[in-house]
Amino acid sequence: MTPALSIQNYGLDYVTSAGPVEVLRNISLEIAPGEVLGLVGESGSGKSSLAWALMRHLPRNAREISGSLKLSDIDLRQLAPKQLTGVRGRRIGMVFQDPSTALNPTLTIGRQITEALQRHRGLRPREADALAIELLGHVELRNPAAIMRRYPHEISGGEKQRVVIATAFGCRPEVILFDEPTTALDVITGARILDLFARLRTETRVAALYISHDLAMMTRVADRVAVIKHGRVVEQAGAAEIFRAPRAAETRALVAAVPRPERRLIHDTPDETVVLAAKAIGVRYGNRGLFRAAPPPATNAIAFSIRAGEILGLVGESGSGKSSMARALTGLARFSGEISFAGRTLRGAQDMNAAYRRDVQIVFQHPDASLNPRHRVGEILSRPLKLYGGNPADIARMLDQVRLPASYAQRFPHQLSGGEKQRVAIARAFATRPKLVICDEITAPLDVSVQAQIIELLLALRAETGAAYLFITHDLNLIRQIAHRIAVMRRGELVDCLPVEDFDADHVHPYTSELMAASPVPVG
Amino acid sequence: MTELLTRLVRKPQGAIGLALLIVLAAACVCGPWFAPYAPEKMDFLGRFRAPGWQHWLGADQFGRDVMSRLLVGTRATIPMALAATLIGSGTGAMIGTASAYLGGRLDEIIMRTIDAVMAIPGLLMALLLVSTLGNGAGNAVLAIAVAFTPSMVRITRAVALSVRHQDYVKVALARGEGAAWIVFREMLPNVMAPIVIEATIRVSFAIMLFATLSFLGLGAQPPASEWGLMVAEARQYMHQAPWVLIAPSAAIALAAIAFNLVGDGLRDALNPKDER
Repeated sequence: MTPALSIQNYGLDYVTSAGPVEVLRNISLEIAPGEVLGLVGESGSGKSSLAWALMRHLPRNAREISGSLKLSDIDLRQLAPKQLTGVRGRRIGMVFQDPSTALNPTLTIGRQITEALQRHRGLRPREADALAIELLGHVELRNPAAIMRRYPHEISGGEKQRVVIATAFGCRPEVILFDEPTTALDVITGARILDLFARLRTETRVAALYISHDLAMMTRVADRVAVIKHGRVVEQAGAAEIFRAPRAAETRALVAAVPRPERRLIHDTPDETVVLAAKAIGVRYGNRGLFRAAPPPATNAIAFSIRAGEILGLVGESGSGKSSMARALTGLARFSGEISFAGRTLRGAQDMNAAYRRDVQIVFQHPDASLNPRHRVGEILSRPLKLYGGNPADIARMLDQVRLPASYAQRFPHQLSGGEKQRVAIARAFATRPKLVICDEITAPLDVSVQAQIIELLLALRAETGAAYLFITHDLNLIRQIAHRIAVMRRGELVDCLPVEDFDADHVHPYTSELMAASPVPVG
Repeated sequence: MTELLTRLVRKPQGAIGLALLIVLAAACVCGPWFAPYAPEKMDFLGRFRAPGWQHWLGADQFGRDVMSRLLVGTRATIPMALAATLIGSGTGAMIGTASAYLGGRLDEIIMRTIDAVMAIPGLLMALLLVSTLGNGAGNAVLAIAVAFTPSMVRITRAVALSVRHQDYVKVALARGEGAAWIVFREMLPNVMAPIVIEATIRVSFAIMLFATLSFLGLGAQPPASEWGLMVAEARQYMHQAPWVLIAPSAAIALAAIAFNLVGDGLRDALNPKDER
């Protein structure tokens, strides 16, 4: 039987001003009809480049070195641009990472899906409309006829991804490429998309290449898994055995880095002294206008306390108000309610004095955005020292504290890797010896292995300085490894705040158990 | 900096623009030495002499050598245009960044004032200012700078607004930094790229505006050999001796094109996404 998709000995370079950079080397993969091949690798391993090579949409500086890309009988590399339009979408579909940018914001959903159907299946407008409604119903969208008339910004992220999937399946392609389709979605929505995918593939018997950096996800969706590292396939095996008995060192490292809730990383209990207590914190963006009502609050009367040296996890799906809490506690958002800290009561950002600013630090999600690209690392680290007193000679020690060489002080942020940048951001937060550090999804953009190193670093710093953490995340497995207590938020409300041991108990809020069920079961 | 230069030269427009700029700079620095005659040396027998071996670009109504006047006049034209752009863009950038940082009602007040100033055409604004302050090259520079400021404010503010929402500004706020540090050290360096590009292109406008003011008799005063003034003086002899008019006009056009090309080249070179 000819495979649905066959990649033989494929090699790809990107030509940059510094010379050619190896992206893919000796890639040989085959996907049988109806099979799902998972492709796992860290960021920069060349996963997405392979997907774009298959779609024949490579950047202009890409140079294909060797190999062939075969879609059943045709060689994709030999196709002329005109023939390609008959293959793309029609015979090989794609589902993108971020559904909010994959749909055109100026066209209705109906227009976007019927356009593909008319183009690729030669349907007349009315037939296409009928089929589109059927397809949207099939991906479990309620009231598909109404969705057809809406614009992308009028539906949620999960619904958008369903529309993209419906479009991809609607053209009945032989192969569909999934490029991290759930990464941009929150855990519960992502889990539902996976269920949908599993159902659709048993119904349509489509072959798929499923790209992800999430190992746990692979056991759910893929038949076989290929692990890719630095553009080379290091291991290929069935989904069940590859993580249970990984052979290649790279796979073993990936599996070992996956967070597991049962493997606790901290064993102490925090003091009873409360560092920070928040009472009835409400954050509201935008005011009531002349002709419109006030928008609903981002968080509503949230109360919690953090004890000295405690790690408090704050979880919830996107839009639940987690980050608004972080912004309120650092005075970046106006809030109502009060914060008690070190014997003082603060009712707004204007009450936050230098001592509070020194003792409460924040680390943001994206180190790219939180480090000024025009400042050297040395200057970035010296600012808190200048503001709150400290010896500028300490910069080497600060870098050493986060396991970076002192020579990095002379570098610009863009010369550092993602994990190194996040280390600099952490060093900056710890420069003032804070009592509380707010970590706002700081590991979300990082690969599992880098994430594990950052977590290890945070725990070491906590042991050294005794700082408490408010750790905001959507990764329940990770937070159950390190937190003393976990608070769960939904739609601006605090639904649960439990010690981590009680999480398996049955008196948790229904939403909490839903979150637990949705988070992937760690592999291995 | 050297990296930026190599990237600038790699594109043809950048390379040509830069070459023209170097020629202009050379004319600015050592124009008088190259000039075959003194710029104000009159020769009554050689009035309106056509371009030839004696006068490469011909002679004007007083028999003065046009090429010598052009070369010496570079000093009166290019530095003035540069100064006007620098003052205008600098002020505009600072106001725009500060306005984006302050936000809210203050931002509203600043921007509406800028809009009001913008409603007056640049040339008219410059004319108004010069007629109030009095004739002269210095006042013309000031007038052009003021005329340039509002649009620079708009451009800078648009970029600064997106920078304002970057996490590093939030970090600085949460750290308790003062407004001056955030505006000048955190935000301004990150809005520089579009300002530099826009300012380079604006230099060519400044040359033309300055020439226009001189042409109208409000900028440089005779017998200075400022290019715009040369065009103005040559106008009445246009049919007798077109070369007296064409030479300075071509010089103005060439300088404007040079700055425009460099501006375009810089836009590509400063774009970090363009790594190819």
